[in-house]
Amino acid sequence: MGAYLTRRVLLMGLTLLGMSVLIFVMLRLVPGDIADILVDSAGIVDVDEKARIVKELGLDKPLFEQYLHWLGGLFQGDLGFAYVSERPALEEIAPRIPVSAKLALLALIYSVILGVPLGVISAVRQNTGLDYMLRVVSLSGLSLPSFWLALLILMASVQWFGVIPIYTNEPRSLVDEILLLSIPAAAVGFRSSALIMRLTRSSMLEVLRQDYIRTARSKGASQTSVNYEHALRNALLPVVTIIGIEAAFLIGGLIVTETVFNIPGVARFLVEAILWRDYPIVQNLVMLIAFITVVVNFLVDMAYMALDPRIKYAD
Amino acid sequence: MRSCVALMAGTLAAFALATPALAQKQGGILKFTHRDNPPSASIHEEATISTVIPFMPVFNNLVMFDPKEKFNSPDKIVPDLAENWSWSADKTKLTFKLRSDVKWHDGKPFSANDVKCTFDALIGQGDEKVKDLIRKNPRKVWYDNLKEITVGSPTEVTFTLGRPQPSLLSMLASGYTPVYACHVDGRTLRSKPIGTGPFMVVEFKRNESIKLTRNPNYWKKGQPYLDGIEFKIVPNRSTRVLGFVAGEFDMTFDSDITFPLLKDVKDQAPHAVCEARPTNVRSNLIVNRDREPFDNPKIREALVLAIDRKPFSDILAQGNDLIGAAMLPAPAGVWGMKPEELSKLPGFGPDTAKNIAEAQSIMKSLGYGPDKTLKVKVATRNIAIYRDPAVILIDQLKKIYVDGELDPIDTTVWFTRVQQKNYQIGLNLTGAGVDDPDVMFFENFHSSSSRNYTGYSNPEVDKLIVQQSSIEDKAERMKVVAQIEEMLTRDAARPTILHGVGNTCWQPFVKGVVLQHNSIYNSWRFENIWLEK
Amino acid sequence: MAILDHDAALARAGANVTGLWSQAAFLARRYPLGAVGGLIVVAFVLTAAFANVIAPVDPLSTNSRASLAAPSSTFWLGADFMGRDMFSRIVYGARISLAVAVGATALGFLIGIAIGLASGFLGGWFDLATQRLMDILQALPLLVLALVMAASLGPSLENTIIAIAVALVPNVARVVRSSTLSLREQPFVEAARAVGMGEVRIAVRHVLPNTMAPLIVLATAQLGSAILTEASLSFLGLGIPEPYPSWGRMLSESAAEYVRTAPWLVIFPGVAISLTVFGTNLLGDALRDIFDPRERT
Repeated sequence: MGAYLTRRVLLMGLTLLGMSVLIFVMLRLVPGDIADILVDSAGIVDVDEKARIVKELGLDKPLFEQYLHWLGGLFQGDLGFAYVSERPALEEIAPRIPVSAKLALLALIYSVILGVPLGVISAVRQNTGLDYMLRVVSLSGLSLPSFWLALLILMASVQWFGVIPIYTNEPRSLVDEILLLSIPAAAVGFRSSALIMRLTRSSMLEVLRQDYIRTARSKGASQTSVNYEHALRNALLPVVTIIGIEAAFLIGGLIVTETVFNIPGVARFLVEAILWRDYPIVQNLVMLIAFITVVVNFLVDMAYMALDPRIKYAD
Repeated sequence: MRSCVALMAGTLAAFALATPALAQKQGGILKFTHRDNPPSASIHEEATISTVIPFMPVFNNLVMFDPKEKFNSPDKIVPDLAENWSWSADKTKLTFKLRSDVKWHDGKPFSANDVKCTFDALIGQGDEKVKDLIRKNPRKVWYDNLKEITVGSPTEVTFTLGRPQPSLLSMLASGYTPVYACHVDGRTLRSKPIGTGPFMVVEFKRNESIKLTRNPNYWKKGQPYLDGIEFKIVPNRSTRVLGFVAGEFDMTFDSDITFPLLKDVKDQAPHAVCEARPTNVRSNLIVNRDREPFDNPKIREALVLAIDRKPFSDILAQGNDLIGAAMLPAPAGVWGMKPEELSKLPGFGPDTAKNIAEAQSIMKSLGYGPDKTLKVKVATRNIAIYRDPAVILIDQLKKIYVDGELDPIDTTVWFTRVQQKNYQIGLNLTGAGVDDPDVMFFENFHSSSSRNYTGYSNPEVDKLIVQQSSIEDKAERMKVVAQIEEMLTRDAARPTILHGVGNTCWQPFVKGVVLQHNSIYNSWRFENIWLEK
Repeated sequence: MAILDHDAALARAGANVTGLWSQAAFLARRYPLGAVGGLIVVAFVLTAAFANVIAPVDPLSTNSRASLAAPSSTFWLGADFMGRDMFSRIVYGARISLAVAVGATALGFLIGIAIGLASGFLGGWFDLATQRLMDILQALPLLVLALVMAASLGPSLENTIIAIAVALVPNVARVVRSSTLSLREQPFVEAARAVGMGEVRIAVRHVLPNTMAPLIVLATAQLGSAILTEASLSFLGLGIPEPYPSWGRMLSESAAEYVRTAPWLVIFPGVAISLTVFGTNLLGDALRDIFDPRERT
């Protein structure tokens, strides 16, 4: 067990290290660098001015040296300077994290509240009209592009309520903020709720076929209690794990939603930073996302192991 | 009790301040939509309205175009930091008498040294500290003729020119020409600048917002009227427009409402005030005259003839865009050619069918035809305002057997590509900071200009450009200007397709807005705007 | 591990028929939703294949008199800002979506299968190295990885396909590798080895066909997500460039500006994307039920 843990943690470190190399190299393949962008806004490329900026930003140093510099900084909690704003990258990134986190959390709450009960109902009523309807709805959740859904929601709320649920002013209180974020969160959460519903349904069906459920039934337990007490508890295990993984993967959905709703979160910031070739921001954000994903995966595995005594990680 | 006193004091103060003016009301925050993140806050380093609008209110100029006038012209220039100015007899020395009661936002006094620092930095003189004020200088060519800045006393500064250039004053009056503080470094100027202007920067949050607050010690007593301005950065235009319609914003970004959108805004917010005005940004065709096949003047001539301007205007602006040569056409523009002269230029004649037939016969004489098309890549910057006209251009070129394919260039490398002449033909947008022939011609067509990125070079045109620059009499100067325009069009030197027109809207309670019709860059001081709520 | 054997699968499902059409009819009755999905996918492929026949006009030709024209008998689905016919653009857009979906899935699968097979067969350091590489690729959500890839390659059809394909590789490689590992020890593989068959031939002739079932299920699911990813990338301005009529591109920038004056610009491309992905998902579900009855949904 101890050996397994050590190995997992080492592998996580290796993955993140590999990611740092990958993102560092890929960013530098992009045509045009930050010096081009900075010079471009002047509407003219002055070779001397550009050379000076390149030097000022340390882009003339060998790539390997730039990489080590970044990595060394990372270990000391120094993320470098954002090129465009000329402020520490940490100061630029940090305030945007809570916004995205709140949005993701709300979306997750939506998806669980919707997904789990509907999945159970769908399984219990397998092959009825209701089941078919719910399955079609959940599949549509996986089929609608989330930016389209977001656009439709935006259109509808202006058309019918005369309000626009975008982040125009800083919300005054947490309640305000939650109200404001709840609409974009619905756009993100719809997809996850569909995923969770499908998973809940299939794992419920699996459990309902198991022997011990039949036993419980034959012992005279009522249908409802069998469905909800015995089956659900056991079916939830894989659901919990997918919720964990989905939490990390929500960031994909956040990218477009934050763009449409003008939410100042990290996901939209990533896109902008890519377009601006602001390496210190992109590199660090990508590492942050990778870190979250890797850690969540690890925690999910650990939770699985703790919850299901049948699973043993040897090796 | 305390609030009562405060209220009284407030009322008194407001009353005292309001007396000299008309009925301006003090107070309130103006909420303004911004279309994108300004590349930096340093106006001298940038060439975009995205920087000018939010940061012009932080600074003052030496002189400015009268903010109450709808047209910028040399006779409408009024004092700003300079109380008055005078030319030497030979018109090569311009002396400014400066105000003595002006302080920077950090409390340090403003003096003639700050003026010297700013312009030394712009002409590349002075020590390292001065050079550090700006690291890019897009309008270097404006000051090519400025040789030296001398400080006479803390309130007197003299500009020495190489040759007479009356229009220098117009350039100094542009929103692009604020006076920077000597004691502030470049990085601060780019991120949270300090100026002498009516508003001070509270914060510049990238991609989010720019917040300005009233400068309580502004040297124009009683101004500004607003307590502050909040620029909210909303990159998505549909979201911006929806926000304005829903009343979240008091004012749209400059020229943000296109004509197809205007109807929607009018329907949804019937009380909004919307004004159309030329942006003084023109779309133009760039042709790589050094490379086959466009090194052949015949083909260039055919291209110029093939441009049918009306459909461009119909699609892009429901027919509201303006047709003209390089200078902005009248009535908005002061220097544009008269319509009857314009229609004699190639491609500008009213009979488009004839123009196209002529272009077709040129192409046929060169061996092209319906069965043998000329395949070209039409390069443009990968942004909608560039791509849209480029798509129409490609469609029009089909008529003269040119089979164009759009080559959308990443916006970051657009100017590099153009300057390296790594394109065949392209569609470009060119803005003019000031409606003045010196600005237009020196910047874009003089062979020595660093901004003449198509590398157009014609000694005769160079000579005429310098010649018109020294002429003081407007009618005289206009004759030379028309001559230059004609030569440029015949040479296919960045032939103009259209001059853009856009709508700016604000809520009815926003008062005191004056939009100038021949430049979008010079009227964003915000010191005369108030909220009638 | 399911084996790709139509008749066995059908028999297991309770069919008592032979012949392609009657089998299809049986499946359609048994999986009505899957049949609907199949029809949608077929319609989509046909639209893409015959776009030049179906579309009434050139999707790139502008028309100054038709800017933002509402749906009518001339412009069935209206016209966009440039006066381009939306119906023609959506029809041609199917080509782009199909090219991206098939291109990215095929490329991703080719690479993924090669890596997975090699990894499972060779084992050792090669296996370790590729597994770590897959870990790295999987440390980012699909859209984020595709976004970074697309940005570094530049916007074009080919690059969009490559960007999405790379993002699809790890899943495929994992599935193939784990099947390979379990199949390698099976008696028939041992037997093949005993008669002197080379490892590569064993991999291609015996192992690969036996991993087909999960791969087909995975591929159908990936088709849909490739279409969605392309749409998102193009929406963000990093996928297919103008003027090509990509459905995602049609929804970005200028189209979204006219959501209220010209809602058809937003509604129809969105419907096209959703319907197509919906079809592939329905079909995918049915295929999973057929091939992999244990994981019945």
